[in-house]
Amino acid sequence: MTARPAAIVLAVAGALLLAALLFPIYWMVVASLMPESRLFESRSLLPTAVTFEHYRALFDERDFLVPIRNSLIVSGLTTIVAVPVAALCAYSLARLRMRGKSLLLAFVLAVSMFPQISIVPPLYLILRELRLLNTYPGLVLPYLTFSMPLAIWLLTGFFRQLPRDLEEAAMLDGATRMRTLRDVVLPLAAPGVASTAILTFLYCWNEFLFALSFTLGPDRYTVPVAIMLFRGRYQVPWGEVLAATVLATIPVALLVLACQRRIVAGLTVGATKG
Amino acid sequence: MNHRAAPVERAETRLAWLLVAPALAVILLVSLVPIVVTAWEALHLHDLRLPWLGRPFIGAGNFVEAASDPRFGAALFHTVAFALISVPLELMLGLALAVMMHSVVQGRAFIRVSALLPWAIPTVVAALLWRFMFESQTGILASSFQTFGLVGPAFDWFVDPIAAWVPIIAADVWKTTPFVAILLLAGLQTIDPALGDAARIDGASPATGFLTITLPLLTPALVVAGAFRMLDALRLFDLAYVMTGGGPGTATEPLSLYAFIALMQRLRFGYGSALSVIVFLLTFAFALVWVRALGRSLSGARS
Amino acid sequence: MQRALRFGLLVVAGYALACGPHDATTRLTFSGSALGPEGDVVRRQLARFTEQRQGVRVELQVTPDSADQRHQLYVQWLNAHAPAPDVLQLDVIWISEFAAAGWILPLDAFDPGVDDFLPAALAAARWKGALYAMPWFVDVGLLYWRTDLLDRAPRSLAELRQMAIRLRDADATRFGLVWTGARYEGLITVFLEHLAAFGAGILDARGRVIVDDPAAIRALAFMANAVNVDRVVPSSALTWQEEQVRFAFQNGDAAFMRNWPYAWTLLQDESRSRVARRFAVAPFPAGDGGQPAAALGGAQLAINARSAHPALAFELMAFLTAPEQMIERGRLAAQLPPRRSLYETSELAAALPIPLDQVRQVLEAAVPRPATPVYSELSEILQVRIHRALTGQQPPAAALHEAGREMRALLTRAGLSSEGPTQ
Repeated sequence: MTARPAAIVLAVAGALLLAALLFPIYWMVVASLMPESRLFESRSLLPTAVTFEHYRALFDERDFLVPIRNSLIVSGLTTIVAVPVAALCAYSLARLRMRGKSLLLAFVLAVSMFPQISIVPPLYLILRELRLLNTYPGLVLPYLTFSMPLAIWLLTGFFRQLPRDLEEAAMLDGATRMRTLRDVVLPLAAPGVASTAILTFLYCWNEFLFALSFTLGPDRYTVPVAIMLFRGRYQVPWGEVLAATVLATIPVALLVLACQRRIVAGLTVGATKG
Repeated sequence: MNHRAAPVERAETRLAWLLVAPALAVILLVSLVPIVVTAWEALHLHDLRLPWLGRPFIGAGNFVEAASDPRFGAALFHTVAFALISVPLELMLGLALAVMMHSVVQGRAFIRVSALLPWAIPTVVAALLWRFMFESQTGILASSFQTFGLVGPAFDWFVDPIAAWVPIIAADVWKTTPFVAILLLAGLQTIDPALGDAARIDGASPATGFLTITLPLLTPALVVAGAFRMLDALRLFDLAYVMTGGGPGTATEPLSLYAFIALMQRLRFGYGSALSVIVFLLTFAFALVWVRALGRSLSGARS
Repeated sequence: MQRALRFGLLVVAGYALACGPHDATTRLTFSGSALGPEGDVVRRQLARFTEQRQGVRVELQVTPDSADQRHQLYVQWLNAHAPAPDVLQLDVIWISEFAAAGWILPLDAFDPGVDDFLPAALAAARWKGALYAMPWFVDVGLLYWRTDLLDRAPRSLAELRQMAIRLRDADATRFGLVWTGARYEGLITVFLEHLAAFGAGILDARGRVIVDDPAAIRALAFMANAVNVDRVVPSSALTWQEEQVRFAFQNGDAAFMRNWPYAWTLLQDESRSRVARRFAVAPFPAGDGGQPAAALGGAQLAINARSAHPALAFELMAFLTAPEQMIERGRLAAQLPPRRSLYETSELAAALPIPLDQVRQVLEAAVPRPATPVYSELSEILQVRIHRALTGQQPPAAALHEAGREMRALLTRAGLSSEGPTQ
């Protein structure tokens, strides 16, 4: 039975891989609960002492609620703007007859490949002229550069996968394209739209370079930037940094837990789109 | 061939363009126009700290400066080397993970969540986390390496110009292997299991079956995954900036970070724009190469 | 349609809520170093201003303690045309840079009374003849010397060298002289004092590079000899910053130390210092053809060019630089005021830990660093070259010639060559 050893090897390798993937996260949570004094001395992998002092410090001394609020608002606004606009475009690309469709799609894909740093200079100068630096719109606009193409790409894939019969039936009954879109297609595509919204929100939540370049102070820093800028007098306050990273990870983890199927669907539709 | 489209079709095309217009407008405005402006800015001398010099047109002056700038050469080298090291690692480990995820029947959801978490975590968080684990002598990985005698007693990973790359690569591989695995998993799921069964009946070992049947069929997915990862790797910024700031000195400084420093810290917008144009050209050139390879591999797979 | 409208209203409302309420009083923001005793003094004085001046509230905007980080943050804010902070605390060496970039306001329109200020401090506050900042407190390089080992302070560089060698050879101390020799800005301040001692400088009055003149080479040669030939300055000092230098003197290991005034109070602390009450300060002595010199440091206040309330900001600045506030600062934070008249008063004498007559002498000898917008780049070029000469990797003449070349090229590139800025 030559299959057995192979299966065992696979299982062991797989388990090791999984452990490697999960251990840092486990360690992050455990370390964030360790008292400052033991943070660098503990040699055991299991928590020996638990304290919430770092979390308390985050909210009492560092007002961590502000970056969280900022990230929520910016990611939320971007998603709210990008997804509907992208949906219209995607429906058109998926279903309607027009010339240059594949060119358009290729163009959208190409734009999403632009290195972010390449668009920072003009965006910075424009936002400065418009006095939008360190504001919410001043981040939402740059965020559209990657969230728009992403949403179009994903939604086009989802719309294409939908069976046409219901749409055709509705149109035979005399409904217009727009009515069909609203009453027939969108309900069918709801899971796809949800996946797209989730992925868009995630990408915005994790974004760093634009947030770093276009915000000026703690009142508008997003979570990634705020964590990065925790600088103590002589050393990095690791306890608080780790607590902040845990807090930054929780919304992400919750989303992943709740929607892992949808997320996978989104990623694969994006990738297998020929 | 009817060259005049029927009124219905023309109405449909009009609606199509109407629906596409808002999205297209946004993309043009926030992506295309800026990239053109950056390219134009790259042809000027524009130092925001020296406003009396104005903004004269200097043609390829910034690019010439970059060519003789040792820091640029180093950054370019760092970027390409990083991509060439981490992407194959990610592809291999992602493949292993995908195979495992594919062959498991129970606990699929748990595995999927475990795989997705590192990918979904903000890069900043991953960077800080891995920095913490490699922090000299006291981080858990740093002290483990020391305990096993792999490094000396006072070894500081972030002070050594080459060793400082290890945590960066580790963090990148850790964070993106799941993404690769998911892409490859989708590819694996499209492979007809009958092929594998046939091979086994013929007496081939699982390893041979994998190499001769699965892998070739998986090539398109590998190419796609590799392309996405390469593009991202060439644009490396977050991990380097957060973990080492480009240090020690400039030993872990990729191109994007050098461009950022030139722009936002030295306020040399002309030169920094030139550097970011180079990053763009680098990714664009790579994309061209890969698209051709993809095209070739797809036509090869079909045959 | 209705749903869309409601949703839209929700978004707008949410946005408005997120932006926060508006109040009636004018809000001024002040940004500066706010740690320890300095922070306490600043907060007190800002609160006092708020009390005295109706309708104005001053907020302290905290910045990182490291000067480099604060500089980076300021550059980011001011370049982004942010209206806050209204008043900023600037290092003396940043003023030309910020003035030339158009980030801070010229002050002559407010008719500030500046006659009382130290000339060297005012020189650092001017760019192209206009005043851009008000001196707030000064730091000067001091030569600390051991009163139990010497009768008086050395009156010339040669004497300093002899005394240091004598004491070191007699084993009275481990080292003769210690100064900040690490490759950073502190090294330039030491170099500056040696330059002045030989009658040399970095840039002349017209902004031309003179750091490769023969006198300057003699100055650097003197420093290099002190480290490598006479060995009165330990080679480990080439990695030391202020604190390490202080420790060496504090432990009784050095006969002379060149450091800033902050060290005085710490050195007098009998519980930690072995030299408490056995030291005094004097200006760095002159060599051939030179003057005694003390490198000028410290901070000044400036107004953000995009401030919405420039007149009010100037009021705050005038308040903070008034004599009463300066004396309070001297008492609580041991920082030297830049007003000459205060050094005649008994209040300052009572407030400052350092004896006034010793300090007055040093202040007369204060020398600012070159006031040029590209100072930080010039300094970096010099730091690298000087350090190479001190570690014996390059002879002083070659090091300074190369530095001079690079500095001239930099000034030309920046449009600031020999004749001054081209605008």
